[in-house]
Amino acid sequence: MYRYDEFDASFVRGRTAQFADQVKRRISGELSEDQFRPLRLMNGLYLQLHAYMLRIAVPYGTLNSRQLRKLAYIARTYDRGYGHFTTRQNIQFNWPKLKDVPEILEHLASVEMHSIQTSGNCIRNITTDQFAGAAADEIIDPRPVAEILRQWSSLHPEFSYLPRKFKIAMSGAPSDRAAIRFHDIGLQAATNAAGEIGWEVWVGGGMGRTPMVAKMINGYVPHEHLLAYLESILRVYNRYGRRDNKFKARIKILVHEEGLETIKGQVEAEFAEIRGGVLTLPQEELDRISAYFAPPPFETLPATRIDVAREKILDAAYGDWLENNINSHREPGYASVTVSLKPIGKPPGDATAEQMEVVADLAEHYSFDELRVTHEQNLVLPHVKISDLRAVYDALVAAGLADGNAGLITDIICCPGLDYCALANARSIPISQSISQRFAKQERQKQIGELKIKISGCINACGHHHVGHIGILGVEKKGGELYQITLGGDATENASVGKILGPGFEAEAVPDAIERLVDFYIERRESPEEPFIAAVRRLGEAPFKEALYGNG
Amino acid sequence: MMEILTGNELTTGATVYLDKAGHWVEDLQAARLFAKEEAEARDAAIAASKATGHIISLEIETVNVVDGLIVPVRLRERIRASGPTVPVFERQHLSEDAHVSI
Repeated sequence: MYRYDEFDASFVRGRTAQFADQVKRRISGELSEDQFRPLRLMNGLYLQLHAYMLRIAVPYGTLNSRQLRKLAYIARTYDRGYGHFTTRQNIQFNWPKLKDVPEILEHLASVEMHSIQTSGNCIRNITTDQFAGAAADEIIDPRPVAEILRQWSSLHPEFSYLPRKFKIAMSGAPSDRAAIRFHDIGLQAATNAAGEIGWEVWVGGGMGRTPMVAKMINGYVPHEHLLAYLESILRVYNRYGRRDNKFKARIKILVHEEGLETIKGQVEAEFAEIRGGVLTLPQEELDRISAYFAPPPFETLPATRIDVAREKILDAAYGDWLENNINSHREPGYASVTVSLKPIGKPPGDATAEQMEVVADLAEHYSFDELRVTHEQNLVLPHVKISDLRAVYDALVAAGLADGNAGLITDIICCPGLDYCALANARSIPISQSISQRFAKQERQKQIGELKIKISGCINACGHHHVGHIGILGVEKKGGELYQITLGGDATENASVGKILGPGFEAEAVPDAIERLVDFYIERRESPEEPFIAAVRRLGEAPFKEALYGNG
Repeated sequence: MMEILTGNELTTGATVYLDKAGHWVEDLQAARLFAKEEAEARDAAIAASKATGHIISLEIETVNVVDGLIVPVRLRERIRASGPTVPVFERQHLSEDAHVSI
């Protein structure tokens, strides 16, 4: 993985020292809260309901064991022994004290991590496919280009005060596991007529109060011009994006209001000006950065078939885990393992310090010291020998992390909601817990198959409810919490936004409501092989609505 | 309906309430209740609290008094007063040097 060079190291050290001084001046009264607030936000420090929250960047979701151990140390020393992995592949701590934050940032800097640009109207952490560099279906590993984009976008002087925050996601594989069509810019690896690899550029996607599927603005941009092309998009957005209304300030609104062709014309005009200039990416530089992401020294192993059926007979739980939590690897004899952070009835995405240490050890011993955070709030050991899977599984069982539920109904994305978040209108963690408990039985989950439930506690949609096959949105009504249910969202290459089915439900009624939708799907699916989302597309929403509310 | 003043203490981020003696404390039940006609006193307390520089996110919250207990009208405030509901976590506490008074 990428290692800081001298510039990176001194840049992060400088920022850490600068923020330490700002904290000191705030506590002494030299800085007012109005002066300090934007400074702390630039360093990922928010104030939530009960305490501060520190959001730490995990660039393109990649970690090594040393970094994860450091996060565990921070959780134990400065927080309450756990951390929360987010839908932007970052980690958040919910209980840091202001005076400890400079020290926390020093610890982070010592393992080449920081909190810069995890808040504010700037380009945020660039996210990727969690199986980058490992997936069997990958065209190109997106991480070298993601790293180059990280360097380009870090403290970019022109893009530090954009109209609103700006999120970029990348996928190097045709299967979109990074929700690129729901980002301000989505980059999808593509080949041109000559068979060369470059990038399809999507723009104007997003969730929040106005969900939009991104539109393709360019079908092929070669690596060498990608920075100039993205700079052109950002310049157009920075110039024309709305600053009069926070809720209409994202690029999705600009693209929607002006039309793709208008924006495309403006971007192309800008691109014509700067193309071939200082932002041209030389092949040597791409090669230099790519060397950091060279494949680890895989052993030459025979292709190994995992006999899931046999394993299920011997050990049902292990068989289920193999069936659901293993992803095909590009290297014979290896697999990628999804470590579920969705134990039944626990807050999605949370990991204790001890669990982080177990996963760090497993990465070190079994996955060439590599780890990933997924946007679905799980962890991944990307390069595990198939012959080591049992040992990895046994260690995960001991740590309470061996739920074989990846991609199933209990693998729920969920925002912190009103239990923590100052913006939320309703709680979301208790809803995820009650659904997870309702569908806890593995047989029931298996019967249902792939079904993605995503829960947000407010319209900002941090829990991605718009793209849940079943989405749940918590709203405030008459001082209480009410939950609207949406159907038919999809974050993949078949992107779609879910539609609200009807009136909301009280919290206690949500599991029954979900069960009615699930039962209807099972009753009406063509075969157990037809996934929930395919059945929704075939049948339309109306019969599901009737199943949910009755036909009265 | 009455009003209380709430905010977060600067160094710990802990949720705090202004009490009758002008101290910012963790206990909701110790909060000073302001009646509608006490708006002037309330606003003076807000100004004095802001002047300390150590109370942030200062807000006026509407509460009811039910069987002698202060109950915030908004669910958000009831959760702020009790801490996260699942899993249940204790609220953030003030540290020794984090006591603020007006």
